[in-house]
Amino acid sequence: MRPRILYTIYRKELLEALRDRRTIFMMIGLPLLLYPLLMIGMSRLQEGQEAAQTARSSTVAVWGALPADIEAAIKSKGKVELVAWDGAPEKVRAALEMGQISPPPTPPMGLDADDTPPKQRKMPDQPWAKAGQKAILDRKTDAVLILWPGFPQQIAASQTAVASILFDSVRPESRKARDRISDVLRVYREDLLRRRVAQRSLPSGFAEVIEMQSTNVASEQRKSGMLVGMLLPYMLIIFSAMSGFYAAIDMTAGEKERGTMQTLLCAPVESLEIITGKFGAVWTIATIATVVNLLSLSMTFSRIKLMPGTQMHMPPSSYFIAFIMLIPISLMINAVFLAVGAFAKDFKDGQNFLTPILMSLLVPLVVTMTPGIELNGYLAFVPVVNIALLIKGVFLNEWAADMLFLVMLSSLCYASLALVFAANVFERNAVLLGGREGFASVFDFSRRPGQKPTPGVSLLIFALVLVIAFYGSISLLDYGLPVLLLVTQYGMFLLPCLLLIRLKGYDFRETLQLRAPSWRAVAGAVLVGVSAWAVAGGLLVRLLPPPDSLVKSLERLLMLDEKPVPLWEAWLLVAITPALCEETLFRGLILSGFRRLGKWPAILATAFLFGLAHASIYRLLPTLALGVLFGLAAWKTRSIVPAMICHALNNGLMATLARSKGLMAELGFAGAKFVPWPIIAVGSLVCAAGLWLILAGGRRQSDTTA
Amino acid sequence: MNLTLHADSLTKYFGAVHAANSVSLEVHAGEVVGLLGPNGAGKTTILRMIAGILTPDSGTVYINGRALAADPLAAKQVIGFHSGDTQLYQRLNPREALEYFGRLYGMEEQPLSRRIAQLIEELEMSSFAGRPCNTLSSGQRQRANIARAFLHDPNLLILDEPTNALDVVSGQFIVEAIRRQKAAGRAVLFSTHIMGEAEYLCDRIALLHQGSIVDHGPLPDLLERSGCANLTDAFLKNIGVSRPGSAA
Repeated sequence: MRPRILYTIYRKELLEALRDRRTIFMMIGLPLLLYPLLMIGMSRLQEGQEAAQTARSSTVAVWGALPADIEAAIKSKGKVELVAWDGAPEKVRAALEMGQISPPPTPPMGLDADDTPPKQRKMPDQPWAKAGQKAILDRKTDAVLILWPGFPQQIAASQTAVASILFDSVRPESRKARDRISDVLRVYREDLLRRRVAQRSLPSGFAEVIEMQSTNVASEQRKSGMLVGMLLPYMLIIFSAMSGFYAAIDMTAGEKERGTMQTLLCAPVESLEIITGKFGAVWTIATIATVVNLLSLSMTFSRIKLMPGTQMHMPPSSYFIAFIMLIPISLMINAVFLAVGAFAKDFKDGQNFLTPILMSLLVPLVVTMTPGIELNGYLAFVPVVNIALLIKGVFLNEWAADMLFLVMLSSLCYASLALVFAANVFERNAVLLGGREGFASVFDFSRRPGQKPTPGVSLLIFALVLVIAFYGSISLLDYGLPVLLLVTQYGMFLLPCLLLIRLKGYDFRETLQLRAPSWRAVAGAVLVGVSAWAVAGGLLVRLLPPPDSLVKSLERLLMLDEKPVPLWEAWLLVAITPALCEETLFRGLILSGFRRLGKWPAILATAFLFGLAHASIYRLLPTLALGVLFGLAAWKTRSIVPAMICHALNNGLMATLARSKGLMAELGFAGAKFVPWPIIAVGSLVCAAGLWLILAGGRRQSDTTA
Repeated sequence: MNLTLHADSLTKYFGAVHAANSVSLEVHAGEVVGLLGPNGAGKTTILRMIAGILTPDSGTVYINGRALAADPLAAKQVIGFHSGDTQLYQRLNPREALEYFGRLYGMEEQPLSRRIAQLIEELEMSSFAGRPCNTLSSGQRQRANIARAFLHDPNLLILDEPTNALDVVSGQFIVEAIRRQKAAGRAVLFSTHIMGEAEYLCDRIALLHQGSIVDHGPLPDLLERSGCANLTDAFLKNIGVSRPGSAA
């Protein structure tokens, strides 16, 4: 790919998109208008309704004998008009007056520990209940207060008197009437209880028994974070996707419809350059939209109250982290949009194709709205859900660097898969020309002998292997570490790699660099292999020290779950197997795919993916450094063997050290958090000598080959 | 004359449809070759394969002696392709569109500006070069599009019905522009429905029917072989259609 061509396509696509009013509206206009209108509008509406309800008097029908002191208390409170027997049918009135009906039984006590009010009782299938319902639904009254037979007498006799309030929870004025009557009756009840206790000279806590005091320890930031965290991921992901939606359709189906796609294909540009340039433009638009969305949301949230007494107050850093996390998801969504959009014949067709994808985002996003679901190692690999939960975690101030790394890693994998898919679609000229090529042809893995791997293939195999290995390893957890290691390495790393090489018709020898290295290169690889751990594990770990949990899990891995296996078995499992499988994948196929980028970009890109594959932010730097050393060895010697030797010796030595407490003590490691400086210094010298030998050996071999 | 284009046995299927059936063609520098055929004969498919925007199922295209498939980007660098399906960006003006394609063809900024100015003058585009393409008339759009195909000074011009849907004046303007390219030594392969254009412009003509070339050669040879007095009759005879009122 040529940067100048990429920039030319990117600039033109962006220029055209920015001249499209629809894109501008979706990118800037909608977020700026929508949130203030939606939030402030809703907030005002709620406040207005609340004020209207408070100002309005409630009409309450009273069925039964209401003691004068309660009536006085209700009237003194104001805003309640009591109408005796209003809406009561004759039969019901007679039954109540004659004491022929009794109240429904009191339900058993619930065990809800939260602050939510108890569930409303179901309406009994009785004439009095139906009559009350009719009176309320006919709007004759807002609520019905039934005072069951014997109410005044029971109060006078210090017994339990029963009153029922019938109301319609759907009507706000009915709810308000219920609240007003309930408030008065509650105050009356407590006052009466105090008087009864005093009359009998009982201790003050006699009737209360236990005074429950619950205190919410959630800070204001956590309370508002919970609300923002529930709403924000949902809104941000959807609106960020929507702004890329139109641009993606316009740049694919729109171009086909306007006849400009063929014009572009006439020019001397690669499909990958076209898709990358277009993708860059769509992604820029989606990113601008995300920033505008975040700004608009943060300003709106700072000015409104979603719940009474709750101020939305989130630190700007939370919004910034949310933005960073939206990057991989917007990469993935927009790549899928571009790829699928390319199949559409015209803009309308494009909308039909992409709308289901946009709608399908709603399903995983509902997860963020569900209380109690938190991010864990499994959900970190579920696309869309992982980012949504992580954003929620950030606003609740509950996130860990390692989980962030896992989420970013898995999301970048999915984004890579989506990008490779999009590039594959753009490789099919018939799709772009509106021909009859079907969707299935994009997944065509027919052999084309003579082909060489591309960077797209490298990204594809990396993303595929990582996702397969993650989900595969979960299902193997019960079988123990040795089985897990063997199946993951051979079945999930090596096998897909070899299958892809076979399916695509690549030359095995050339792709995997299956050549015998010079003896000098082998000697160099041995020196690097025995010393690399001191540099990578000793020096770089000091920059970002791993947490104890990671150190323990690494020790567990090296010790094979403390199983009493002989050392040769440990070497086979944690040294030779990874050296064989991981090197075939990384310094074999992946490095071959990146080869066309040039020496250092190829080595660094491969090493970066190698680092990412170790799935921990704390291991990223050391494994990346090892990846660079292994990559350099493979590049210079044009053979994968030195990289395998380095890898096997490095891992084997670590496993040996982990098992040899005595040796560790002799080297001064026992109890030390880091590798001692003298060991690092010696290791660095040995490593440098090994590298020198590899480079010299490589040069000799290159000369011979040339 | 140098052989600029050699298409060897190009074949293309779209599902069950045989769009091109072992088509072979040659175009030399300074020569105009016309591709004549009814709708659906496979003209556009063949021209797209030669331009490198559609991959043939079998057969090879050689541009200046090199297989197009071996280095498609280098081949496209010397091809100027124009068809009814190659439009310019509606939200860009012709000048911006030409600048964009010039950069894609790897032209440096100053030579590109000079070349754009030259084409704007030659194709009389100065009155609309700054207006968005979606505000231009068909003739203006066609000129801008032709300018895009000529922009990088290609050796081989592939023009698919370049005067389609144009009025006589605009059509004649394009025809003269093609003649100038021939005079400048470019190889031109173009398809048309207009027999007069083919008679006026072409050194050789290939008659295409149902994806196959049914006859091929200079106009006098075609007329002699068909026994017809003009190209229209020769064309109809070759595709098995008789003119209304003429003897079978």
